[in-house]
Amino acid sequence: MTAVELRNVSKSFGHHPVCRDVNLAVSEGDFVTLLGSSGCGKTTTLNMIAGLEDATAGDILMNGKRVNELSPVQRDVAMVFQNYALYPHMTVGQNIAFTLKMRRLSAAEIRARVEKVARSLELSALLDRLPAQLSGGQQQRVAIGRALVREPRIFLFDEPFSNLDAGLRVRMRAEVKELHQRLGVTSIFVTHDQEEAMSISDRIAVMNQGRVEQFGTPEEIYNRPNNRYVAAFIGNPRIELFPGTLSGGATSPVCRIGPIELQVAHRFLGCSGKVELGVRPEHVRLGDRGFPAIVRLVQPVGPATHVTIDWEGGSLTASLPGFVRFETGSPIHAEIDPDHFLIFDRETGQRL
Amino acid sequence: MSFVKRRHGGPFMRGFVIAGLIVFVLWSAGPVIWLVLSSLMEQQALIAQPPQVVPSSFTLDNFIQVLSAAAALGHGIFNSALVALFSTAVALAFGAPAAYALARLPVPRANNIAFLILATQMLPGIAIAIPLFIAMSKLGLIDSVLSLGFVYLSFNLPIVIWILRGFFMAIPVGIERAAAVDGAGVSATFWHIVLPISIPPMAAAAVFAFVEAWNEFFFALILTRQNAQTVPLVIAQFAGQYQTVFGQMMAAAVISVVPVIALAIVFRNQVVRGFADGMTKG
Amino acid sequence: MTANATFEQRRRRVGLLFVLPALLVLAVVLGYPIVDSVALALQQVSLRSGVVQQSWVGLDNFRRLFADTTFQRAALNTAYFSSAEVVLVTVISLSIAILLNHPIGRFGIFRILLIVPWAIAPVANAVLWKWILHSNYGVLNGVLKALGVIDVYHVWLGTPASALNFLLLVDVWKSVPFVALLMLAGLQRVPNSLYRAAYMDGAGPWQSFLHVTLPTIRSVIAIAVVLQTIWSLRVFDIVFVLTRGGPADATVLLNFLAYRVTFNFLDLGYGSAIANVVFVLTVILAIVYVRLLWPRERRAG
Repeated sequence: MTAVELRNVSKSFGHHPVCRDVNLAVSEGDFVTLLGSSGCGKTTTLNMIAGLEDATAGDILMNGKRVNELSPVQRDVAMVFQNYALYPHMTVGQNIAFTLKMRRLSAAEIRARVEKVARSLELSALLDRLPAQLSGGQQQRVAIGRALVREPRIFLFDEPFSNLDAGLRVRMRAEVKELHQRLGVTSIFVTHDQEEAMSISDRIAVMNQGRVEQFGTPEEIYNRPNNRYVAAFIGNPRIELFPGTLSGGATSPVCRIGPIELQVAHRFLGCSGKVELGVRPEHVRLGDRGFPAIVRLVQPVGPATHVTIDWEGGSLTASLPGFVRFETGSPIHAEIDPDHFLIFDRETGQRL
Repeated sequence: MSFVKRRHGGPFMRGFVIAGLIVFVLWSAGPVIWLVLSSLMEQQALIAQPPQVVPSSFTLDNFIQVLSAAAALGHGIFNSALVALFSTAVALAFGAPAAYALARLPVPRANNIAFLILATQMLPGIAIAIPLFIAMSKLGLIDSVLSLGFVYLSFNLPIVIWILRGFFMAIPVGIERAAAVDGAGVSATFWHIVLPISIPPMAAAAVFAFVEAWNEFFFALILTRQNAQTVPLVIAQFAGQYQTVFGQMMAAAVISVVPVIALAIVFRNQVVRGFADGMTKG
Repeated sequence: MTANATFEQRRRRVGLLFVLPALLVLAVVLGYPIVDSVALALQQVSLRSGVVQQSWVGLDNFRRLFADTTFQRAALNTAYFSSAEVVLVTVISLSIAILLNHPIGRFGIFRILLIVPWAIAPVANAVLWKWILHSNYGVLNGVLKALGVIDVYHVWLGTPASALNFLLLVDVWKSVPFVALLMLAGLQRVPNSLYRAAYMDGAGPWQSFLHVTLPTIRSVIAIAVVLQTIWSLRVFDIVFVLTRGGPADATVLLNFLAYRVTFNFLDLGYGSAIANVVFVLTVILAIVYVRLLWPRERRAG
């Protein structure tokens, strides 16, 4: 059952197009993330799903029914906002209760539901406080509580953690994922942080300039990116890309970058042309075998060490596990398993 | 030299500033203090030669005379209060939603409308007064507190809208969105969410509007006769008729300004904020 | 509000509803008179025993206006008054604002001292100064004689030039607080980081004033100047209470002339013509104001 579906949805502000022909199908119970840098249209798409913005063209469907003209509350969606958006003049309890008050539930019913939600989020002691008296993490939990108490069909999250410091962000991420596992409510999450998207989503929609570049599981996006944009967006440290020429070769296909010829996977036999060769830093092995290079920079980050080397095709950063020591300026060799290369058509950016 | 010292100058500069502040205090407070003192002095003291700057004795006689004589002042205060309260309250009631709509809702040409409304503040009274006078004469609306109230309402609306619109435009959009998702329509959002957090600027707007209405003279002069006379008219009459009874003249003036000064001092923080916000949002 | 409309449409409908009452009031009370005022200026209007009689005379009123020496005198008076007031108010307000921006001036009492004159009614202000400037018993004469600045008591409002200048003084005293508060707000918005940067570059207090403060508040000053000019055209109360236009029409300002012509001489058409001249002047100034302020503001889509 498709919980949410977008068919050819476009949105322009005046003459300025923000979303172009977005197609998306979110299955019931899935956790889907809209991922992209600012201006890519992800927040606008979310707002259109919520009913906070009108689509200029296209259909928005929920459970098969067209909802373009329904108000947010009629769509049975709840939203957690960036900057929490808590009502500053109301207590925590009143903030959570507001939506129930709008639905004209009885005072007793409201109290019961608010208390239940407060307990599940450990907010019971804070019900009488004002938002200004809470910490960032507490405010975010109140925001989640306000959405939870609706018992909605769909949860929407608009970059809810960008205001929190790093440690808190990671913890809130885990809380949200646990919540989703517990309740199983369809959730759509917006973020620009690719690590965040990877860690919590069932599926990710990578957006760029109003279009969905790829919609797939984290594994699909990471290992089989549709195009150069997706490949470069996902992964930290970034994928290394080099322009080169692919040629069939007699028995095995090779890609020529500068003076160096690198072997690539067998399936590229028969392909040729101008390409861009991509390799992820963790797939670069440094040692005695492979093409020659000089070590330029060594940056240990804890679980890995990033080593930047200069070679005849340019420079690239390798990610080696643990703490590794290299002498800056010393010669080294780099080797990459042919199967780990991602090859993109240089002109279209599509993966071959 | 430390940054603070450099920025604000050394002892020489301080002396300069202190001297300047003393001049400022004398300039601002002098006349007002003299106003109050004069109202508390006896006629003989007031016409003494050379003038007594420091009175030897105080008396409340002037106030008693002014308040008991022709109930004109009391009547004037009553009218002024009615007119000012009416025009302020209705200006808030009509102006707050209008300001919200012009700040946040997709009203067509909202910016143009807002500008037009602000522009009415610059109209010279005389341009409107004559046609208003003629129209109201024909309709028999001269000398009525209600009609004067409506005229003042038209002056207070732009003030209220100017101050509140700036404030509303600064409210984070997220809060309105959250309310929409929570099931609140526009009116419910305005009533439950926007208004409660707008008390300070509304207080500022109310003070500005009330002061304007209370002090207004020109339209009161033209559009009222006996019944709807407001305080400024009574004071002007005092200055005309009772030219020689200086103490009473001053007492009447003091009585007329006490309400607004009290209001302004009590709400001084809102007033100063009102100026600051008005500046930034134009 | 039915749900058959989209989100935006619903909001637009409510928005129009919200604006309606205010616009209605303004249209009736202000809009109609403005239009009518122009019409009146083109008519000969008289008031006889409470009945208004009107007849069209085209541009006669305006022709008469430009030949009228009283009008010319009033125009000159107004030009002098406005220019002088703007200069004085701007300079004094800026000085006060600077003083109050200094750490010593941060006390709330100083702001109260600004708010009080602002809150006093122009009429009450006029009455107060009528007393202060009284030729026989006024405190100004008394103090100046005691200090030896003058030998005899002056009739400050008795001679043409003196009367106009003292009117100026009275209105400047009343107008300064408002403008000073505006400028103070502007001064306090100058970011401290700019001063710090100037300090790092070695600037002293005067230099940082010249190169940091002034340029940043230039727009505030410009706005204050234009606003003040527009307001100076509306001065009425003090003329009415203090001089009634005398002595010998020396203090007749355009505003007051329009009033006198309309309500004392009952020549409503002519009065409207004068009022329209003032109106046009104000509109021109308002356009200047708009150009200064609004080009910067763009409402987000």
